[in-house]
Amino acid sequence: MRLKIEKYYPLLPVYAAYLVMFLIGRTMPGMWQMVALLAFYCAIGQAFNIFLGMTGYVDFGYVAFLAMGTYGMALGITAFHQTGLGIGIMFIGLLLGVVMAALLSLAVGAVALRLRGAYFAIATIGVNEGFRYFVEGARIWGGSEGIIFYGDMTEAFGAETTRLLSTVWADVAVFIIAAMAAFVTIHYMRGKIGYALTALREDEDAAKVMGINVTKYKIIAFITSASFAGMIGAMAWALKLTYVFPPDVFEIHYTIECIIIVLLGGAGTLLGPIVGALIYGLSKYWLAVIAPGFQLLIFAPIIIVIVVAFPEGIMGLVKRRAKGTGWERYII
Amino acid sequence: MIGQLLAGNLTHGLVLGAVYGVATMGLSLIFGVLRVVNVGHGPFIMVGAFVTLAMVTALGVAPPAAIPAALLIGIALGFVFFYTIMRRLIRAPELASLLATFAMGILLEEIIRHSFGAEFRGYTWDVGKIVLPWTVMPMSKVFAFAGSVLVAIGLYLWFNRTRMGTAIRTVVEDSEGARVCGVNVGWSYAVSFAIGIGITVMSGVFLTMFIPVGINPYMGGAYTLKAFVIAVLGGLTSPYGAFFAGLIFGLIENGSYVLFALIPGVEPFALTRFLTFVILLIILLIRPTGLLGAKK
Repeated sequence: MRLKIEKYYPLLPVYAAYLVMFLIGRTMPGMWQMVALLAFYCAIGQAFNIFLGMTGYVDFGYVAFLAMGTYGMALGITAFHQTGLGIGIMFIGLLLGVVMAALLSLAVGAVALRLRGAYFAIATIGVNEGFRYFVEGARIWGGSEGIIFYGDMTEAFGAETTRLLSTVWADVAVFIIAAMAAFVTIHYMRGKIGYALTALREDEDAAKVMGINVTKYKIIAFITSASFAGMIGAMAWALKLTYVFPPDVFEIHYTIECIIIVLLGGAGTLLGPIVGALIYGLSKYWLAVIAPGFQLLIFAPIIIVIVVAFPEGIMGLVKRRAKGTGWERYII
Repeated sequence: MIGQLLAGNLTHGLVLGAVYGVATMGLSLIFGVLRVVNVGHGPFIMVGAFVTLAMVTALGVAPPAAIPAALLIGIALGFVFFYTIMRRLIRAPELASLLATFAMGILLEEIIRHSFGAEFRGYTWDVGKIVLPWTVMPMSKVFAFAGSVLVAIGLYLWFNRTRMGTAIRTVVEDSEGARVCGVNVGWSYAVSFAIGIGITVMSGVFLTMFIPVGINPYMGGAYTLKAFVIAVLGGLTSPYGAFFAGLIFGLIENGSYVLFALIPGVEPFALTRFLTFVILLIILLIRPTGLLGAKK
């Protein structure tokens, strides 16, 4: 079988953008933190887009999967910190986080994906909040106090490695996850799943009648998206912050940020989440400097205007413009 | 005595439940007519709470005097938001309407925060209390209960006995058909949204009578989530279904707290929240038309 390399051409601008960001962060002093934040937004945008962009289903409880990743890493480190496995413990934690996120998405998907539209959105909010209050109420995983594992981390990795992990390597991992998510996105889009999900997004009943197993493809996209969220939670939240606190990791505003990023850039496009993440992240950073305390007051009306005026997002517009030109094969 | 404790909590739950019901009717009305879930629902309740606070502290009137003001401000807000934003989102994908309504909520929160500050504030309104054999009930809560019941009856009558209400019900049934029969569908949407927001803002007046720690600009989020559970319990599209569901929700929330407190080593408050979301999911899965509205 001939490998169709052309179908991966649209990855070039994506990886170019990541490379530029990475180089700016590594070479310009004081920029790493901001670049890390942007990479985080790119990663969650791309991960969220795999499900939302392709299916049109709005998961309002998406942050729960990031929370699973964070808890997975926290539990892995606290359980194995005395085994002397060194950096291997981090991979155990990562694996645990991904598995927990995938299992939760499988459970949610099996029940909630039968619902559509607003009902699905409400059900997923319910799962997110319900899970949070279960953790707090039943006092599992540290209950409402959460887990602080900085001590366990230094015991497992040593002080210097812990510092490097949470200030550098966690962010590098986010770049790698974002790149992987981009690859999976294009792989899905240009494959059978992408065509099935496009049919589903346009008209779910018609797709079903045509013999497409819509449930199967919806769940594949859902689990993929959730697993990436788990990885991001494990690396960007757990390793960086070295604690988990339930009201933080289940905070609905992170889901909203994902939705803003995807919608701003263009749902269902490959470059969209990156464009959205860069615009959102940079303007958030910039507003915090020039108008501290007023960011949300300024953001809210802008979001409303964008939703009303440009529902296709920036890449949706660019894509239409690029149609028929030489750029077409690089932009989806 | 656990029996007396339970009876007392259930009584308070029923009274609070009526207010929850009224605080949810607007959400159900708007979803029923416009098919838009108002994710920024709670902040509108918060606006009502601040209208009360402003009137009580600035004008020195009793809290009930804020009811007409809150209703009018709510209706005005509803019309403004409808004609500037919601009108364009009625047939938009969920993604757009959910994000826009959430942003509306943030906008309200930030405006209130920048005008009143972010700290908790409150007022006292002591008008005596009723002593029952099993519990003590402040008169202010009795008043809120009575007011809520009246509002629910009023909305029921408006919805079922007036021309406008009938027009809106036909739009809910079949908006194309209603248009053919000469119903002004656009105006029906606008009025439903404005009335829905009006009742929601007004419910904030009643709710302030139940909040001992005071109010703050970010109090709304918790009520958005409660309102979702209640609305789903009531069938999501029926305003008076939401009212009865509010009563049930109040009983469950307060009753289960007493029972969860008996389990050692748990946090009963968080578990009551957990229970409500379990109920939400079960209802959505087995009976999306709600406990009460099961006609179709």
